[in-house]
Amino acid sequence: MSNNLLSLAFVAWIAAAALAAFRQGLPLARILLAGGSIAGIIAAIVALPHGTLAVALPTRLAGDPVDFQMSPDASWLFGFGLAPAALACAFSTPKRDAEAGWLFGAAASLIGALGVFGVRHGAGFLIAWEIMSFGGALMILSERLSSDVGRPVLFMLGLLETGAVALLLAILLLGALSHSFAFQAYGHLLAQASTPLLASLGVLLVIGFGAKLGLLPFYEWFPATYGAGSGASGALLSGVVMNAAFFGLSRGLLEWLPPQASLSAGLGIFIIIVGVLSAILTALYAFQQEDWRELLSFSSAENASIAVTMLGATLLFRGHSEPLLASLAWVVALLHLAGHALAKGGLFLAADGVYRATSRYTIFHTDLLRRSSLIFGLGALFAAMSLAAMPPQAGFVSEWYVFQTVFQGFHLDTLAARLTLALAGAGLALTVAVAFATYVKVFGVGLLGRTSESDGAAPPSSVISAGLLGLCVLALAVGMPLWLNSLDIVVEARFGTQAARAMHDGLLLVPLTAKFAFISPTMLVIVMPLLALFPIIIVLTNRRYAVRRVPVWYGGLEQDPKRVSTTALTFSNALRTFYSFIYRPTEETERETHAVRYFVRRLTFTHEVAPIFGPYLFAPVTRFVFKLASWLRLLQSGHLNFYLAVIGVLLAIILALALF
Amino acid sequence: MPQWTLIGLLKGKQTAPWPLAEGSDGQSGLLGMPRYHPEHCTADCKVCADVCPTAAITLRSQKGSVDSRLDVDYGRCIVCQLCTETCPTEAMTTSSDWAFGARWRDDLKWGVESTASPQSEPSARAGFRRSLHIRHVDAGSCNGCESELQALNNPFYNLHRLGIFFTASPRFADLLLVTGPVTYAMHGPLRAAYEAMAEPRWVMAMGTCAVSGGIAEGGYACGHGLEGVLPVDVYLPGCPPNPAAVMHALLMFLGRVQQRVKGGQLVE
Amino acid sequence: MTVTQSASETGFRQRADKLHPAALKDAARELVGRGGRMQMVYAWYPEPSRIELRYVGTVPGQVPFAVWRCEPDGPVPSLAAVAPLLSWYEREVTDLFGLEFSEHPQPQRLVLHDSAIVPRPPFDPDYPTGVEIRAQNQQSIPEIAGVNGDVQLLPFGPIRADVLESAEFLFFYIGEAILHYQPRLFYKHRGMEKRFEGLTPERAVVLAERVSGVGSVAHALAYCQAIEAAADCVVPPRARFLRVLLAEMERLYNHLYYLGHLCHTTTLKVGEAQGKLLAERAKQLNARLTGSRFLRSILTLGGLRRDLSPKGWLGGELESLRESYAVYARHLETTDSHLDRLITTGKLDPKVAFDQGATGPVDRASGLDRDLRRDHPYAAYGELPVNVAVRTEGDAHARAQVRMDEIDASIALMQRALLLLPDGPIKSECKIVPGSDGLGWSESPRGTLFYAVHFDQTGRLARVKIKSPSFSNWRAFPFTVHETNMMDYAINEASFGLTIAGCDR
Repeated sequence: MSNNLLSLAFVAWIAAAALAAFRQGLPLARILLAGGSIAGIIAAIVALPHGTLAVALPTRLAGDPVDFQMSPDASWLFGFGLAPAALACAFSTPKRDAEAGWLFGAAASLIGALGVFGVRHGAGFLIAWEIMSFGGALMILSERLSSDVGRPVLFMLGLLETGAVALLLAILLLGALSHSFAFQAYGHLLAQASTPLLASLGVLLVIGFGAKLGLLPFYEWFPATYGAGSGASGALLSGVVMNAAFFGLSRGLLEWLPPQASLSAGLGIFIIIVGVLSAILTALYAFQQEDWRELLSFSSAENASIAVTMLGATLLFRGHSEPLLASLAWVVALLHLAGHALAKGGLFLAADGVYRATSRYTIFHTDLLRRSSLIFGLGALFAAMSLAAMPPQAGFVSEWYVFQTVFQGFHLDTLAARLTLALAGAGLALTVAVAFATYVKVFGVGLLGRTSESDGAAPPSSVISAGLLGLCVLALAVGMPLWLNSLDIVVEARFGTQAARAMHDGLLLVPLTAKFAFISPTMLVIVMPLLALFPIIIVLTNRRYAVRRVPVWYGGLEQDPKRVSTTALTFSNALRTFYSFIYRPTEETERETHAVRYFVRRLTFTHEVAPIFGPYLFAPVTRFVFKLASWLRLLQSGHLNFYLAVIGVLLAIILALALF
Repeated sequence: MPQWTLIGLLKGKQTAPWPLAEGSDGQSGLLGMPRYHPEHCTADCKVCADVCPTAAITLRSQKGSVDSRLDVDYGRCIVCQLCTETCPTEAMTTSSDWAFGARWRDDLKWGVESTASPQSEPSARAGFRRSLHIRHVDAGSCNGCESELQALNNPFYNLHRLGIFFTASPRFADLLLVTGPVTYAMHGPLRAAYEAMAEPRWVMAMGTCAVSGGIAEGGYACGHGLEGVLPVDVYLPGCPPNPAAVMHALLMFLGRVQQRVKGGQLVE
Repeated sequence: MTVTQSASETGFRQRADKLHPAALKDAARELVGRGGRMQMVYAWYPEPSRIELRYVGTVPGQVPFAVWRCEPDGPVPSLAAVAPLLSWYEREVTDLFGLEFSEHPQPQRLVLHDSAIVPRPPFDPDYPTGVEIRAQNQQSIPEIAGVNGDVQLLPFGPIRADVLESAEFLFFYIGEAILHYQPRLFYKHRGMEKRFEGLTPERAVVLAERVSGVGSVAHALAYCQAIEAAADCVVPPRARFLRVLLAEMERLYNHLYYLGHLCHTTTLKVGEAQGKLLAERAKQLNARLTGSRFLRSILTLGGLRRDLSPKGWLGGELESLRESYAVYARHLETTDSHLDRLITTGKLDPKVAFDQGATGPVDRASGLDRDLRRDHPYAAYGELPVNVAVRTEGDAHARAQVRMDEIDASIALMQRALLLLPDGPIKSECKIVPGSDGLGWSESPRGTLFYAVHFDQTGRLARVKIKSPSFSNWRAFPFTVHETNMMDYAINEASFGLTIAGCDR
């Protein structure tokens, strides 16, 4: 049944791509894309907890048969990633004239993601991976929402292709070791391979998938690329595409690599370190951004890094023969990405609402909440709360679980493992704190900030998107005891434990045992409104005084609230100064004066934060590539005689090779 | 830093015992409002009325209830002593009368029986007897009144021991203390400060400028004090009133001491 | 040795050079080139139909001031490019008289608020009497452009926290860092200069005392000396020495209060209490000496209104105060937390101080050695040793140290004056010559103060111009605030120790 739905989705997406390619019937294309996504969601719901049945695709690649099967965790991640995708495709990009190209790119991304989740063949996987990247690039390129869109996309593709090369190497290596590209064949012969080889295989996988997930140093393409697109593109890229990349990494590390103790432990430590450092850096940079898309993109990288850290913890626990803890860590990563896809998608689509109301993606005072529907505000609030890890939202649940997992480090017996987990806990605490401040800034300055000018209100499309996704986030948190059951079978198959069942105890969520700690969003959602009745009753029964309204006191004069409110830059300035060794912020004040320098006519203030890897890693590489290109350009001299001479030399060489 | 704690402790108590106990109020030698003795006035003499810079002394236009030729309005007196120096017959003499805090404007006029009904009952202030918060607004003073107000929190006067505090925001204030003749530019902010106060709220005019306009009144930039601008509950003339006078006026307002000025004369 | 002050050295009459408006810029350039400094420019109406500008400047090495007269017919070239400190005086002339200055770099309203509705320039002879200007609550703020609105605006005032004078301060800042700072004063503008017009000079002494409440003696002294210069009146020696005593008593309580307030901003609570207690002691000495805590109602034209008897008790009280103060000052100078907040805070560059007209302890802390008591002696200062305290660091600590040295110098000066106090009359007659004019000055606790008086043909005051030290120093203050941080602002402002009533008049 789910396979039928998936093929329905596939067909719908192909049809939408065709329509978009010919620029005909674009509204129908949107309906097809959205409908296909909904079919995909239903397929995922139906498939859990068993996953889909394996189906042989009607092609052969490199002499092997190609199978298609979505495991339960793939269905889980795919389903959650498709929720924002459905809404993003339904309402499409706010740039109407770019719609055809965007829809084509969106279709390509979705089709590619489907392949990444389900195709069980090395070459087929790579093709799907490339289609997904191509789709993403096409979406951004067609939108042209910033003046320089080519360079960021080129940078993104450059880094993604670096990852793709790593993936190619990894799959070739796996194929050579297993004598087949089909994923089912991996495993038996691998167990005899040497540990360094397997370790380098693991590192290649991390590089390959990390390029898309935003592990360091690959997160540097995020701001410029996301900043050249729209919120809808961001919802797709941070939702289904990011989930697909994580799924690939998870399967590669847990299924393809054999569970050797030292390998798992060492790789686990490496991944935890990379994950935590990425999380810290991306969280810090997210806080300094002043554009919705750039801030949310860094935040996506941060959340992906947290999930990757949990994946590393899984490996670490498995390497120390703690399958229960390993399964706990793995389930936590899945929960985290589920909540993240919904909440991030919700905020990206809310950003589109801001754009439609004010024509800008900047985080500044828009007074949007007051003018827009209550549902928009609630949805954006739930999404922001979730990403800021506030109860009772899904983000709080997954962050709580993350810390509970990390605290379990005392079960391990090596110093390295314990130290890594302890330091990881500290690093993640910093990340969560900065993330909290980031979302206060986004919501407080970006949506709540008052202004006396009046722009428009958020349009119905954004209201529906933000509202629905916010509601889904709350539903995910409140119904968590239910949703956890769907991961039961895959956890048993993968790790041999009943962890998913042990993570909830009635209405409480527990880290495998109720004696340690517990939370319960389910009960919170019931108890909090009941408790709120008390102050409401007090207010209602206490109406004795007449109310006199006076303006806000500013010192005796009336002030425009927008002028005197906190700005995005002011809010983040303290951290900018404190972490200046990371940010290396630059500020420049230029004063334009009259004849004598004392009389200032205009003051111009510019400020920047510097990326870490940009100047030290990517800039030299880029310079080298450009230099190489300029040498090669010598071949394009334009002289016919030169070309003829080159052809002659080549012919001579071929003759020599053939003869000798 | 510990050295300062020790220094402070070794200094001992520097606060004047007045007004809670008998003792010096720190104003010895101070010249206060001139005292008027109408019985020493000679007919046709108007030397003091001519020399008074603020027209606090004027010739009476009609016969009043008290036998005097002059209208003396202490609400307009800037304590310049010019009348006491020029009076040839000792009808105007120097004194050390400074406790001129009054609830009604008419109490500051010599010989006038104030028949005005109280603007607010003392019972309304019962809850504030030992805890009053004041928001001060400078509506264009010369800074002398501010200097005396700032002295209220020095160790000698120590206003806090009476339970009276200055606050930063009118939202927290019970009493609005205004100095200055209300310049054109401060008129709006002053009214905004009054509007920003939650009820119950009261107003005190401190200094002759706030009571009646003082030496700077009129002209192109100044008003005539708080009359017509805000409803005033306590008047305290003086140029500037010394800190002891301010403390007396505040305690009088709170019902903790008696008002001493009646009909322009200090009574015990 | 007695020193007589004649009008030729002090007052105006003989020494006002007449200049054509076109020649002003070159004359100013020449004076500035010689190391001199323009002090002020003001306007007045010798006749209802004729306006005259007066420029006053100091030339180094020369006791008499340089004074120029100018009769404009149309806009006058602005001297702001040559002497930046004149820009404020020119704007004041434009606001109050309606006279335009061409090429002025900041031709906005200064003394009158830019939203004020003014029927005519207030000093215009046809200004309707009894009509008050009206203001609207909103004022224009420099525009913050830019897509993000990154820079935050804090409009602080005019009603500020704590018992303070009314003024508005605009901060353009980002978190801690202040990008640009603009004080918007003149909420307390009372039009005092206009109140003088038409008064007899004796009556106006009490008006001069109340222009700046904590500078009553300095203002009354400058005013009386201006009249005495115009009337060629010689003040008796006893009065001159008593005037020195009064001026230094005023300096004493002002500086002691300043130290207490400075400790308030550096949150040194006991230091604040001790400083303010010392100031209270000084004020009570004032009351005991003159009957007024602010030393009012004593000065008059030609001398003093009544005799004072300080001998026998004031010297002992001053010595006791000095001992308490010396202990206090020693403790302050050894308190690291207090010093840390003052050293390098709010540095005022000497060139900026000079160009912007900073005066008093503010410019003496930046290395400019100027003091009217020594350079242009008045009262009995010519016969007394005047020690001028100078520092070069220009930061808040230097400004505090200058004032601390001045306290010691004041007390020493007063002890010497008490010793040398002669007997004799305390007042001499001042006969006003109709149509005359005079310039008087004094070194107030905050800096140089000038009074220029002009009489009409009936012997009443036709124009009184007040150049107050706070007016000059408020101009220089913002240059110490740009590019500093918010935490230091209160300390910096306290270290300048300015009044707003003196500036706004």
